[in-house]
Amino acid sequence: MSLHPLRDKRASLADAIALVPDGAIVALGGGLSARLPMAGVRELIRQGRRGLHLVGSAHSIDVDLLVAAGAVRRCEESYVGFEQDLGLAPAYRRAAEAGSIEVAESCCATMLAQLRAAEMGLPFLPVRGVRGSDIATLHPEYATITCPFTGETLIAAPALRPDVALLHAPSGDRYGNLHLEQPYVLDERFASASRMVIATVDELVSTEEVAAAGVTIPGHLVAATVVAPYGAHPASCYPRYAYDRVHLREYVAAAQGGPDDLDKYLATYVYGGEESYRAAIGPERLAALAGWSDSTSAWRELFS
Amino acid sequence: MSWTIDEWFVVALARTIRPAETVFHGFGSPCAQVAMHVARRTSAPDMLLVEGAMYAINPDPPFIPPTSNDASLSRGAAYSMRFEEFFDAAIRGDVDRMFLSGGQIDAAGNTNVTAIGPAGRPKVKLGGGGGGCNLSATIGQLTLWTTRHRSGHTLVEACDFITDIGHRTPLGTRAELGFTGGGPQWLVTELGVFDFPAGRARLVQLFPDVSVAEVRDATGFAVEAAGDLRTVRPPSVAELAAVRSVDPLAVRQAEFSARELTRVFEHGAGQDCAC
Repeated sequence: MSLHPLRDKRASLADAIALVPDGAIVALGGGLSARLPMAGVRELIRQGRRGLHLVGSAHSIDVDLLVAAGAVRRCEESYVGFEQDLGLAPAYRRAAEAGSIEVAESCCATMLAQLRAAEMGLPFLPVRGVRGSDIATLHPEYATITCPFTGETLIAAPALRPDVALLHAPSGDRYGNLHLEQPYVLDERFASASRMVIATVDELVSTEEVAAAGVTIPGHLVAATVVAPYGAHPASCYPRYAYDRVHLREYVAAAQGGPDDLDKYLATYVYGGEESYRAAIGPERLAALAGWSDSTSAWRELFS
Repeated sequence: MSWTIDEWFVVALARTIRPAETVFHGFGSPCAQVAMHVARRTSAPDMLLVEGAMYAINPDPPFIPPTSNDASLSRGAAYSMRFEEFFDAAIRGDVDRMFLSGGQIDAAGNTNVTAIGPAGRPKVKLGGGGGGCNLSATIGQLTLWTTRHRSGHTLVEACDFITDIGHRTPLGTRAELGFTGGGPQWLVTELGVFDFPAGRARLVQLFPDVSVAEVRDATGFAVEAAGDLRTVRPPSVAELAAVRSVDPLAVRQAEFSARELTRVFEHGAGQDCAC
């Protein structure tokens, strides 16, 4: 793939996500409760995508929801869960325990090396850790090599080239230039390692505006830009909105409840489309999440 | 003056940080997270604090939120590292200490955060190790912790799955595996504190409401107690004030069972001064 010319890349969510085939290796941007590409995740479910191989660092509702909807064959993240706050990821856990997904749990640093190898067009990069950890047993594709200079034994981790990266940004322009706020997590690495980047943005802005805010991911790496307001919700997308802990708690309860409760969740929040999603969350709640910056107490209130 | 086990536990974790160290905690680790801010406000003001999943340097968060990569955690920081900047620094040996926990921890300090039961078909799939299986190889010292020692399921003879590496695994010692970091230095539990002379956990401190017999009952490996076994030093006024102001939402308590949170301690006759 060569770099993308700076043409107008605006697309509808449905058209952009239709570019993701069944069975694709999909990199999910963001991490934990920050900047998850949730609009894209929900659209993958609406389009009935199957057999996906998900890769990412530490993730939560994005992976769990895709697993719950039956879209996933293989999970290759360093963590999937809701931290100490809401605990284990219910659908991911159930599928892993039932053997209905392959769990190729990885390590953030190994995945970083694998993405860097892909970015550099190299077949592998060495990593120093992993040996002695049972994580190595989940990855028969790793090899052991001897450094030709020092004689050290190291793990060779093969290049990882996702077919598609789904990234969400607070703002971007029609040419695919994206501004992100920290934490960037692996988004920059995904952008240059993947065969295709599909970006969702809360707001489409002019090139002058995105340049002034700072371009984190350049348009020449991006294939499609989709306007998806609150497209990371229930994850945060600063500076626009904080994460929605109340909604995450509702999701975790539904996922713990089992298939019937999950079906109800999908019917209420996913199948109707993004506009219907925002309506189901409610304008007052979305405004409260966007009001995090009003005062420290308003911000803190969102977490209590 | 009285205090609860979660406050004392966090203080015990904070005291494992030495002056001028560069220290990191993983995500989903509220006790370690609070402890690092407590240390920076009390015993280690010159430490370099790398804040969890924000990788922010020396932030002053207005509160600790219940998630590890919220923007509140980088407030007051002039700089946040990129993901790769942090991992590069850790892998080349520039990070001095990391806090690590696990659903299982063995006597050599190996931890399991991946799965209970056989990995191919786990009885319980845990969340996963984040960056631990590389970081535990190269970071200078590790402070391990658990708040679930009393369950009897956490400190085990052998982990079902080794995610993060302690002093030795069935494949060899750290030296044999080519690891440049020193491995686990401390293991702090809600019952007491272990060190690792010769690479094996040894009980060196107890909380005052816990007996050695209780520790032995709750531990899956044979517990060696130090000859000079001591009581954990009570928190100072400054340490307690730091815990309470750093963590007004008390996110640290999410790591404890309801039973543990009823443990209240008071400064009184026969105890060390807590001033």
